[in-house]
Amino acid sequence: MPDTLSEVIPTECMEVVLHLWDYLDDQLTAEATTNLRAHIAVCPECYAFQAFQRGFLDALAGLRRPQRAPWRVKARVLASLAEAGLRTH
Amino acid sequence: MKDQDAAFEREALPWIDDVYRFALSLTRDESDADDVVQDTFLRAYRSWHTYLPGSDCRRWLFTICRNVFLRSRERARPTVELDATDVDAAAAGSVYAIAAREGYEDIFSRLDLVPAISDALDRVPEPFRSALIIVDVEDQSYESAAEMLGVPIGTVRSRLFRGRRLMQEQLLTYAIDAGFAPRMACVEQRRNA
Repeated sequence: MPDTLSEVIPTECMEVVLHLWDYLDDQLTAEATTNLRAHIAVCPECYAFQAFQRGFLDALAGLRRPQRAPWRVKARVLASLAEAGLRTH
Repeated sequence: MKDQDAAFEREALPWIDDVYRFALSLTRDESDADDVVQDTFLRAYRSWHTYLPGSDCRRWLFTICRNVFLRSRERARPTVELDATDVDAAAAGSVYAIAAREGYEDIFSRLDLVPAISDALDRVPEPFRSALIIVDVEDQSYESAAEMLGVPIGTVRSRLFRGRRLMQEQLLTYAIDAGFAPRMACVEQRRNA
């Protein structure tokens, strides 16, 4: 892949650049998905670009960790709900 | 106990941990998150009659939570929307080209970058950050995000793409400035090519 996009790059590679996020997010049509997947499979540079973007999305998803609300928050929520009329077990 | 109270306790309250995590990611402040979570559940209880039984309660609570957050910041929704997703996608291609040239293709899989990824997300401005949190961190669909944010799906997409580009630019700059070791074999290979 060229250093800048102003340089000439093949049309198929440009399609990958413009639509890779849609592809990774499952937002493309079945036909477009098939075409992109087929090109990525045979183009080492687009494959590397895809791996780079997938790594980024995986890293972002990794920020989602199980996190429990502290007891102080649960106590506050339950107290305010009780004040508002909620009757729990 | 009233039936509606039982339903609220059964369907809404179990999501308190998720709502807290979401509130914390929006506010970036524990004290503010506490307030937002309390207000979220209070509003949810008072408008429980608008909840459709059997629908996605977590999504419903996230929607309320984000609205509470926005009101707490007295931040009006932006009126100018982007329609330049191609520009952001193309710019991300340029970010990758630089990363590849400098030997940072594997930068996002490096454990030592994890704190920087979290910091970079915090620095992304609204409304792009909320789109990233909802779709990329909380793994919600474009449709769910559109419903939570009260915007068309195309707007979710444009906000998401802009947010991703901003994060990648920040992270690559950080990696280079902070002197993260590039994959030298890769750099040497490119220099000798």
